[in-house]
Amino acid sequence: MSVDITMPQLSDTMTEGTVVKWYKNEGDRIKEGEKLADVETDKAVMEMEAFTSGVLAARLIAEGGKVPVGARLAVVATGKEDPAQVKSQASAGGAEKAPEPAKKAEPAPGEGTGPATATAVAAPVAVAPSPSASNPVAEDNGRPIRISPLARRIALEKGVDLSLVQGTGPLGRIIERDIAAFMAAPPPAKVTAPVVSPAAIGPGATQVIAMTKMRHAIAKNLVASKQTIPHYYSTIDIDVEELSALRERLNAILESRRIRLSLSDLLARALATALLKHPALNATFDGTNITRYGDVHLGMAVAIPDGLIVPVLRNVNRMGLIEIRQRTADLVERARAQRLKQDEMRGATFSVSNLGAYGLREFSAIINPPQVAVLAIAAAEKRAVVRGGSIVARTMLTLTLSGDHRVVDGADGADFLRTLKGLLEEPGMMLL
Amino acid sequence: MIEEMERDDRVFLIGEEVAQYDGAYKVSRGMLQKFGPQRVVDAPISETAFAGLGIGAATCGLRPIVEFMSWSFTLVCLDQLMNNAANIRYMSGGQIKIPIVFRGVNGIAHQLGATHSHRVQAMYSRVPGLVVVAPSSPYEAKGLLKSAIRCDDPVIFLESEKILADKGEVPDEEYLLPLGVANVERTGSDVTILSYGRPLTRIVRQATEVLVKDHGIDVELIDVRSLRPLDLATILASVRKTHRCVIIDEDWGYCGMGAGILHQIHKPAFDDLDAPIEYIHADDIPVPFSHDLELAMLPSLDGIVSTVNEMFGR
Repeated sequence: MSVDITMPQLSDTMTEGTVVKWYKNEGDRIKEGEKLADVETDKAVMEMEAFTSGVLAARLIAEGGKVPVGARLAVVATGKEDPAQVKSQASAGGAEKAPEPAKKAEPAPGEGTGPATATAVAAPVAVAPSPSASNPVAEDNGRPIRISPLARRIALEKGVDLSLVQGTGPLGRIIERDIAAFMAAPPPAKVTAPVVSPAAIGPGATQVIAMTKMRHAIAKNLVASKQTIPHYYSTIDIDVEELSALRERLNAILESRRIRLSLSDLLARALATALLKHPALNATFDGTNITRYGDVHLGMAVAIPDGLIVPVLRNVNRMGLIEIRQRTADLVERARAQRLKQDEMRGATFSVSNLGAYGLREFSAIINPPQVAVLAIAAAEKRAVVRGGSIVARTMLTLTLSGDHRVVDGADGADFLRTLKGLLEEPGMMLL
Repeated sequence: MIEEMERDDRVFLIGEEVAQYDGAYKVSRGMLQKFGPQRVVDAPISETAFAGLGIGAATCGLRPIVEFMSWSFTLVCLDQLMNNAANIRYMSGGQIKIPIVFRGVNGIAHQLGATHSHRVQAMYSRVPGLVVVAPSSPYEAKGLLKSAIRCDDPVIFLESEKILADKGEVPDEEYLLPLGVANVERTGSDVTILSYGRPLTRIVRQATEVLVKDHGIDVELIDVRSLRPLDLATILASVRKTHRCVIIDEDWGYCGMGAGILHQIHKPAFDDLDAPIEYIHADDIPVPFSHDLELAMLPSLDGIVSTVNEMFGR
């Protein structure tokens, strides 16, 4: 008998698909499970497997053709029938019938055994802070991943790529402990493992690395940012000698409580004060309206293997230094363990990127929209500076502000930096 | 019963052989002597008649305790229980209360055969207007029965022939156990086991011990106690904590008591579940007379232990 191959529904939102490439010609023998075509959905290009064996009698859609879900793509002769005749009948069948739109490609009655239709190759799942994080329950060989509701919920919260998690529950189901184990020690995954320190590549050799979902999301967001936002950069040197001394004094007092403030904590405190004085920078821009905020939610870029995450320290303007320290430590630790909740990666009104630990003198950062500015924090270091006509050694810190020129002008940015400099060089100003 | 009859002279007991014979299971021993034939009344063998008499008395302001020799026999007086007792308060717009307790032995006892081994809990628990409780210890039986007698709505009180003779600590001083409240018998973190009444005493407590001691599974054991209203708050809090739930019941599975409980849990707890809710119940057959077959149709220790282990992928 002959069996229709129809456009499978490969994602919840897919209504039509494009045949990108056929791997089999008319007349070719095909085997169940063999790669038949590449199909482009609204999200990605996916492989479509044959779900029945036989002879590919007719290809009804040419490469590049776009059809609704459920429309016939090809006809397979599965028995002794003459493929040529099947083809002529199929063609005579005329234009595409599109059955129930939600219908998945299914084997004809009595044919095949599984509902396997396609292999997900790269369904990009946005990672936070993108607000449009989609369902991480990818498909594996066309079958939904078997996972408990609890594990699914935790994976969603933690942004775990389920295709990398090994299920140990009944029937291989992914259960809570598997997510916990994965997060404790992500296994060296498939082909595209994010490697912390990449293995050396031998002379003459090359290594091809497929994009992880996080890499995809980063690439997409940053290209969008750099292509859309006219960045400008303003750099300022700040004398943090007094601030460092203050920090040491406070730390001596806090030692018994085992709290050790970092320069970043003091900086966060000063930023909160400065941003409330310069609301133009403590804002978001959606392309139409600028929203300014009465609180400061500080996004803090945290590097993780093969990517970065930006946890948000909310209401930093309402916090003292100790709370800033404790909350930051908690957020950074959980960010590195990839255990942040979605909510903790959303809603920043301003961001900082701190690469001081790498000893950089200065650098610039890319704005994370819809925010309108980001501050790049380099290393605090002793530098020779002129004070009162003589050269002295002072602890200096260089900050670079990236601003969105569509909504924040250079003078606004400079004014903000001047306020920030004032606060950092005379920390007592924060008390005013 | 004696305490409540001493406390409130509107309370009386009626049923087959409750007076001169001291009760088919000797539950009312000495009560005829103490309270006389006006308040401890032998009824003719007609469940419909004396259940209806009780309901009528309740509408007139008395607080009857109606004893059925077996809940299986109430199949002949369903109209009185499901229609009259359950609905009079509603249909009279709240003007007429039915403060009545129907009590008796329920479920599979020992070789009583298919017609005398019915488990009626699901049948009554699905009826709005009724309260259904099933004690699992002497302490519970007394505390719940006293609350049932003082309840202004009809209470279906499900005892078991096999637990009537159980002995256990009962405080000397008066106490009441609230209706509608489950009892967390053992706290644990790995799996919530829900059961009640006879299955709890027969097998579930024992299985819990085996799971904890031999399999290292930290079981939270909940005695549901009140089948209607169900203490969903306690149950859900537990399931959300342990992420697993097993319901153990001697009712049939299909449309059974446990199925009703399962339906209440699965949606609110769905995102907290790490495994499907398991429902261990009696086989889908008439209750056999043969001792071995009767036992074989009921949840077994091995069955419970292996089902719980499977939930952990073992």
